[in-house]
Amino acid sequence: MKRTPKLATALAAFAGVAMLAGVAAAGETTGLTDTTIKVGVMGPFSGNASSYSKAQIGLMAYYKSINDEGGVHGRKFELIQEDTACEPSKGIAAAKKLVEQDQVFMLHGNSCSGVAMAVKPVILESGAPWIVAHAVNPNISMPPTANIFHGVPAGQAYGESMGRFVLSKPGTKNVVMVEHSNDWARSYADPARDYMKEHGVEPSMVLALERGQTDSTAQVLKIKQQNPDFVIASLYEAETVVLLRDMKKYGVDVPVMGAAGTDLENTLARTGDLDTVKNYYVPHAFIDTVQGPKLQKWNDMIHKYYPDETITGFSAVSIGSGVAVVEALRNAGPDLTRSKLIAELDKIHDFDTGVFAAPITWTAEDRHGVKSSAVAGFVDGKPTVLDSWNKPML
Amino acid sequence: MLLQLTLSGVTQGALYALIALSLTVVYRATTIVNFGHGDFVLGGAFGVYVLVILAGLPYLPSAIAATALMFVAGVLISRGLIDPIKAGPHIGFAMMSISLGYIFRGTTRVFWGREVLPMPRVFDVTPIFIGDLVVTGDAMIICSTVAILLAAFFVMFHRTGVGKLIQAVYQSERGATLIGINVRRFHDMMWGTGLAMGAVAGILIAPISLLHPDLGASFLIRGFAAMTLGGFGSLGGAVVGGLLLGVAEQYAGAYVNSSLIDITAYLVIVVVLFVRPSGLFGRRAVVRV
Repeated sequence: MKRTPKLATALAAFAGVAMLAGVAAAGETTGLTDTTIKVGVMGPFSGNASSYSKAQIGLMAYYKSINDEGGVHGRKFELIQEDTACEPSKGIAAAKKLVEQDQVFMLHGNSCSGVAMAVKPVILESGAPWIVAHAVNPNISMPPTANIFHGVPAGQAYGESMGRFVLSKPGTKNVVMVEHSNDWARSYADPARDYMKEHGVEPSMVLALERGQTDSTAQVLKIKQQNPDFVIASLYEAETVVLLRDMKKYGVDVPVMGAAGTDLENTLARTGDLDTVKNYYVPHAFIDTVQGPKLQKWNDMIHKYYPDETITGFSAVSIGSGVAVVEALRNAGPDLTRSKLIAELDKIHDFDTGVFAAPITWTAEDRHGVKSSAVAGFVDGKPTVLDSWNKPML
Repeated sequence: MLLQLTLSGVTQGALYALIALSLTVVYRATTIVNFGHGDFVLGGAFGVYVLVILAGLPYLPSAIAATALMFVAGVLISRGLIDPIKAGPHIGFAMMSISLGYIFRGTTRVFWGREVLPMPRVFDVTPIFIGDLVVTGDAMIICSTVAILLAAFFVMFHRTGVGKLIQAVYQSERGATLIGINVRRFHDMMWGTGLAMGAVAGILIAPISLLHPDLGASFLIRGFAAMTLGGFGSLGGAVVGGLLLGVAEQYAGAYVNSSLIDITAYLVIVVVLFVRPSGLFGRRAVVRV
């Protein structure tokens, strides 16, 4: 009985400390010193979606390169990497750790839309600026909130680009869609479908091809019967290759519009045969092909800090928003606060990142920074960025 | 279309048959359902990948070496991890096999988790066209390899002294012990054989798919479905079950809905357990009271 008051006092003291810590976590200068800016980088560094973490690797390489140049206003980035394994529960744990324990100034990264949606309440409450640099679900940053910014084309932008490109092929009326039955695929397929519907074209057939399938004969034979003008394939990398190989096997010579996440060079390397991928097109957010000269400096930068990293279409996708964040930090001046950074991010208008084909524009009313994407396809056997069917980007 | 679907189904089914048979070999010998088998199937594929791509060895010797390595792994698992817990509850075997599979998968993720790996097309066989029917090189290689393996396995099982010994142990371990058969070593050999046969399936899958550490899970459930359909413990049933499952997936995908391909295996398990729990060739369990 005598212990109770002591216990109550101790609990009250603990609660007080915890509250103070909470206040500190939500502070304007949390995670800042005169020489460092603490940045939390969440990504799927393990698990079955870990190939997406190339995006975070590219982003961290960029921040390291800025550190090597002296940082921003004398502050260097202190990167704290947390694994989400592309699982919402692990993502929430990672976000809480970064915000409450590590007390980061800002967060940047995040592949996997499901994880991003799950951690959104945690980060909103924290007040830390959060730049979503890979996940594409538009609802992460819509409706706009105080501290969340989307630094890649959202699914809407990618999907509309896919639909626009498909319809830019003269005479396209008959389109078959092949897709995984998951949110990721729908985030591309639905906007593409909506765009085509607005322009008078509805898919003549929708087929499922699930992850892990190593044969698509049934789907390809149905495509063959349908004889479409175009196929839209919202598939992960492995299943894209399975579909393209089977289409070649069964003599189905129809152009295929893939989803972001695959790229031409690696799809060619995986099929090992140009003939199999000659009619394959992908939404392409970048100013150049993955191995093209305009992206080479970014690829070299990644290899400087991660020499064994294989470059894919994911590698540079988060760097664009990194460039914009560094610009905003520079503009915010040496007396940095979270509010100042958010205000400067909202002043990023028509900002050419040197990575994306489209500029980044953020405002307090619209946090979808990148509004469109180009498309890449093989022209004369070479990966080429295209504005529309048969029209290379200048 | 029907013929093409059937051929494709038989090709996929041949792989399922091999996986189901390798599961059954271990199950018949030890009554252990190896829940980690999907990952061991991929063990063969990753073994070949390491030997061909990283070590630069030719494909065929690499395939033989990878199969042999998985045989040794099976023996070591049996001797080092399964045998010591045999006095414990039976569920311990299931837990052990699940854990081993996940450990293997996690280890491969450490090295290749962030990549989707292509395997070179080692046998560039020209497809044969018979009217509208395309007999692809992959189909020819997979079907012929599996057919040769199955034929060798069943001839050994039914026509040789070793096969008779195996059958003897299958029927009564106590009786086999009494006539001087080392049952412990027999279990080791069956674990080795099961993992080696699974590895061959993985080696055949690798060139037609892309390699990633999570590929094995989908093959495990198909192996279970083929076992269930053929009848638990029936070696021939596992093969027939695998082939029927492969064809059923293709028909369901083409004639009903492509979404069904991914769940056909689960549907087969549910329907067979409900309608005919002993499967096509399994023996009905009889309990005398």
